[in-house]
Amino acid sequence: MSTFTITRAQLMDPSQGLNELSDIIIEDGVISKISKAGSTEPSSHQFDAQNTLLLPGLIDLSCHINSIVSETRAAARGGVSLLCTQPNSKPIVDTPADVSSIQQASDQANNSQILPLGALTQGLEGDQLANMVSLKQAGCIALSNARAPIKNALVLRRIMEYAKTHDILIMLTAEDHDLSANGKMHEGPTANRLGLAGIAEVAETTALAQQILLVELTGCRVHFSQISCARSVEMIKAAQDKGLPISADVAIANLLYSDCDVNGFDSTFHVQPPLRSEQDRKALLAGINDGILAICSNHQARDIAAKKAPFAAAEPGMSTLDSWLSMMLTLVAKGELELNSMINACSILPAKILGLEAGLKEQQQANLVIVDQAADVCFGADDLASIGKNNPVLGEPLKGKVCLTLSYGCEVFRA
Amino acid sequence: MTRHSDPTQVQLTADGRLKHFLTTEGLSKDLLTEILDLADSFISTQERAVKKVPLLRGKTVVNLFFENSTRTRSTFELAAKRLSADILNLDIARSATSKGETLMDTLWNLEAMYSDMFVVRHADSGAAHFIAEQVTPGVAIINAGDGRHAHPTQAMLDMLTIRRHKGTLEGQTVAIVGDILHSRVARSQIHALHTLGAKEIRVIGPATLVPKEMEELGAKIYFDMEQGLAGVDVVIMLRLQKERMSDALLPSEGEYFKLYGLTEAKLALAKPDAIVMHPGPINRGVEIDSAVADGDQSVILNQVSYGIAVRMAVMAMAMSGQAAEQAAQKNESQETTGDDA
Repeated sequence: MSTFTITRAQLMDPSQGLNELSDIIIEDGVISKISKAGSTEPSSHQFDAQNTLLLPGLIDLSCHINSIVSETRAAARGGVSLLCTQPNSKPIVDTPADVSSIQQASDQANNSQILPLGALTQGLEGDQLANMVSLKQAGCIALSNARAPIKNALVLRRIMEYAKTHDILIMLTAEDHDLSANGKMHEGPTANRLGLAGIAEVAETTALAQQILLVELTGCRVHFSQISCARSVEMIKAAQDKGLPISADVAIANLLYSDCDVNGFDSTFHVQPPLRSEQDRKALLAGINDGILAICSNHQARDIAAKKAPFAAAEPGMSTLDSWLSMMLTLVAKGELELNSMINACSILPAKILGLEAGLKEQQQANLVIVDQAADVCFGADDLASIGKNNPVLGEPLKGKVCLTLSYGCEVFRA
Repeated sequence: MTRHSDPTQVQLTADGRLKHFLTTEGLSKDLLTEILDLADSFISTQERAVKKVPLLRGKTVVNLFFENSTRTRSTFELAAKRLSADILNLDIARSATSKGETLMDTLWNLEAMYSDMFVVRHADSGAAHFIAEQVTPGVAIINAGDGRHAHPTQAMLDMLTIRRHKGTLEGQTVAIVGDILHSRVARSQIHALHTLGAKEIRVIGPATLVPKEMEELGAKIYFDMEQGLAGVDVVIMLRLQKERMSDALLPSEGEYFKLYGLTEAKLALAKPDAIVMHPGPINRGVEIDSAVADGDQSVILNQVSYGIAVRMAVMAMAMSGQAAEQAAQKNESQETTGDDA
């Protein structure tokens, strides 16, 4: 039996109201004991976590990954224990064979472990249902169509009915692709000044309204990925208050940046969903501080050529996994995000949405991260494990240095 | 990853001289006036039998047009030739990028030819700015139109037209009519008019073609053309592209002309000495009535001839800004070497 002891960690788990100096013993990857600091015998395999925070490991509800080894390593560096990968990889994850090849690669990489999302429709083409039950049986924790359009409301209704029948969690993005067509950034004063075609707020909210009405009809459990508008937060909250089985997350980019950051035509800020107004950003942060929304990395590594083009021609996407926790802790340091809400949004709530064990409890698999909350960090391109250097924080001062990450009890990162 | 900086400042040297010409936004009144004054002086050289001046002698200018445009390209070509530069026309729209070459590849190939200036037209907003940030120091970029973002030389020739016919830009009320949404010309005009002291800038058109955010650029929106034209000094008509009907932005050319076409009756609502401008090419009977286009108040053809002078001016200024910056950097590095010794 292998035993690993973490001593003198400030353990924070808002799901149990925990915030105390603790020792943790992990045996064979399982948390066997959580006790007051100082109560544990010294052990040969020990990590002194003095002056750091010990949090339940981050669970990323959405990232886009092609290179499993490098990107799961980036996740481990970012404090992520488990990550849901969108099915729009190469190849598209729409058969059980695709799922098992990802699982095998994830096992072999021995970094943060992947929870694959399967495709909702064959080839993500939006018209024929994928073998949804087979994908679930193969190990997909949920099914998603990434940001690819679903052909029409009828297909969406059928998807929800079939998913409801077999108790499958589905993840949807709210986007009316006719309204967003050709759009490159949030429709607003900056888009107008720069002469970039805008994506109006209604491209998200009209789709969201339709999807919420279909949830009401079908009773299907739906998670909305990457909402971006203040209005959407209101709509999600109203639907939840009505008792509908829905949840939602926000991409970290939409919490840190607004459409004003596109001002210099910097293609790093070309993302989907687009960076919205400052008012939207504030409302999304409020939604997280109120415990309504989760946070995802929405990580998307792009090579240099894909981003080295005029804004509109550059591929959308932002590489965020390496710096995800530091980005969030920077928002905490600025007073925009409450620490407890952050932990809830990137670990507790995602676990609940996915039906996993939430928080840090004895007899649970050890998914945890130790982070020096007060440390100043600054990432350079070479510090990123991700092959995508399209990360906007390069060279920027951030707060929070990840010290140790465990995924299913395995040490996947140590600073 | 290149971090892009403020597009309005990339075009200036450390001491505030023009080294690229990407947008009229963010340029000072003095600098815009300097462009107009220099262009004015070139107009007189254009009327001479020998039209050439040697300001760009020995320099190579490449016309890099990713979008087809015969007129703008020809005026840039003439402007470069009258400055005694060697000029190379590259019709990229039909060559390299259509074979899968990226913009960066094209650029590196051209740099290998030791060019001194690129005149760039591209369908993507921000393309000229992007190229300005990527090229070797010392190479000047002149924006000949990027997407819907900017067309600064067109805007400056329009400013010159107004100044030459009205004496000044200060205190003028200017109406821009038509497809504001898709117009890089309108955006560049609004910035320039604002800086040069126009009293009021009005944009006129239906809500499908006039974004409400134009108000934040300092323009006043009018949906009714009669109201919008009342008492203006300058009327600028924009070209209406045929695609606007298939994009469901407008029902028909006929209905558009009825509401927003410039007729003699509508023009009568403007000041009696108001001038009528158009960046061309004009659609007679769509945005402007022939009688107005060819009428006494029309200065459309004057705009074309001023276009060459304005382009000569910005090319000369950008080249000299680049030369000054190169010289300053050379001095700096010599000083550093001196210190080391």
